[in-house]
Amino acid sequence: MTSWIVFRREIAQFLTTPFAYVIGAAVLLLTGILFNRDLNISFSTKPADPALVPSILSFAMVFFAPLLTMRMFAEERREGTMELLLTAPVRELSIVLGKFLGAWAYFTLLLLFTGIYQIILVNITAPDLGHALSAYIGIWLYGGATLTVGMVFSALTENQIVAAFLGMVALMLLWLADQAGQLFSNIDVAIIFRTMSLQGHFSTSFASGLMRAEDVAFFAGIIAVMLFITAQILESQRWHG
Amino acid sequence: MTDAMIEVTRLTKRFGDRIAVDHISFSAKPGEVVGLLGPNGAGKTTTMRVLTGFLPPSEGGAKIAGHDVVTDSLNARRNVGYLPERVPVYPDMTVREYVLFWARLRGRRDARARADAVIAQVNLSERRDTLIRNLSKGMRQRLGFAQALAHDPPVLILDEPTIGIDPRQVIEVRDTVRELGRTKTVLFSTHILSEADHVCDRVVILHQGRIVAQGKPSDLKRKLRPDATLEEVFLSIIGTERGAGK
Repeated sequence: MTSWIVFRREIAQFLTTPFAYVIGAAVLLLTGILFNRDLNISFSTKPADPALVPSILSFAMVFFAPLLTMRMFAEERREGTMELLLTAPVRELSIVLGKFLGAWAYFTLLLLFTGIYQIILVNITAPDLGHALSAYIGIWLYGGATLTVGMVFSALTENQIVAAFLGMVALMLLWLADQAGQLFSNIDVAIIFRTMSLQGHFSTSFASGLMRAEDVAFFAGIIAVMLFITAQILESQRWHG
Repeated sequence: MTDAMIEVTRLTKRFGDRIAVDHISFSAKPGEVVGLLGPNGAGKTTTMRVLTGFLPPSEGGAKIAGHDVVTDSLNARRNVGYLPERVPVYPDMTVREYVLFWARLRGRRDARARADAVIAQVNLSERRDTLIRNLSKGMRQRLGFAQALAHDPPVLILDEPTIGIDPRQVIEVRDTVRELGRTKTVLFSTHILSEADHVCDRVVILHQGRIVAQGKPSDLKRKLRPDATLEEVFLSIIGTERGAGK
């Protein structure tokens, strides 16, 4: 119930601030241009990739997720409303969960908008819709996980720019973990790197039309752990004043 | 002491090596207006933050309406309305949305009706659909009161509610506090002594984190001189303390 109240506030915030629209427009512009390019190529050389948009977003979210979450706690602290939130009879985790669901709902809305590309695709070729669906489910979970990583840094610092920057660095490292894994000829080492990597649980599974329980569990796990950490950070800040 | 709405027992709060609040004890009964007085940095805000559950105490404890602020924090917080020194607002919300948000978050089932009632109580009904960013400072202060009252708590904690507003509004706030004090327990801080003299049933004077005097303003004044003002009482106490410290 508490989370629902915070969720409503959060989603209203996303839908009334120009910044969220700017991010939304940037995402749609980027995916639109690349989709258009892929479509042109598909007429001559290769069939259009049904997982194209989710794959683009898997990289783009390294930058967009921290931008969407940077103000989340930083702003509450700057305005002083954090003090009221933390003195309301609610648990930190409920607040964190509500805020996360708000951001995730906004991301879901953006994803739905990119569905327009799939509609265009269906009208001119016969794409593998199962493949597309798998990729979309994958990027939905992947996006949720990147948002929670961004939230951790928003909770850590009062400065929005610092929060966004640290979030991007962390996500870039998680993204590169997969690339790092590819450098190793030792299969065990490569597997360890891949296990830690966001990209490793997306590009070779969801984006290839493959839905595996372990990948779903990985993203759900990241979301749960990061939300828990965020709530712990808020809790610990009480103790440090 | 069992019927006290606010009960502070040997409360201590340290920030690293600095002791902000040093073993203070006081209480407030239902319907009592207690003034927390002291110069800047005396520990007023820290005390209030512990009482509202925002900061945990380093030592000692506090109870709100019988609920411990640490071990039974959610219930303690349910019984407190808090107005921090700088009124915290969401500038992009309207007055009504803002009060409704806090009423809901603090568990009011009849949040809409309650929000409207509280907005009327602080005379903001005409501004209920105004964005908070467009409110004057005085109106924001009243909105802060509305927020603190949103869930109709029995205990109100007001941190310097008259700071930075014009004299007419100061009088308004004083009247509001006195009015609220009829039905609620109010703890309010100030460093303006005449203000406390007007409004409080009892005062607690803090200096360097310690309680240096507490009691009815009239009693404190009588102790010093029959015609003394609270200011003179305050200066004499702080002065002695300072002398004793050196």
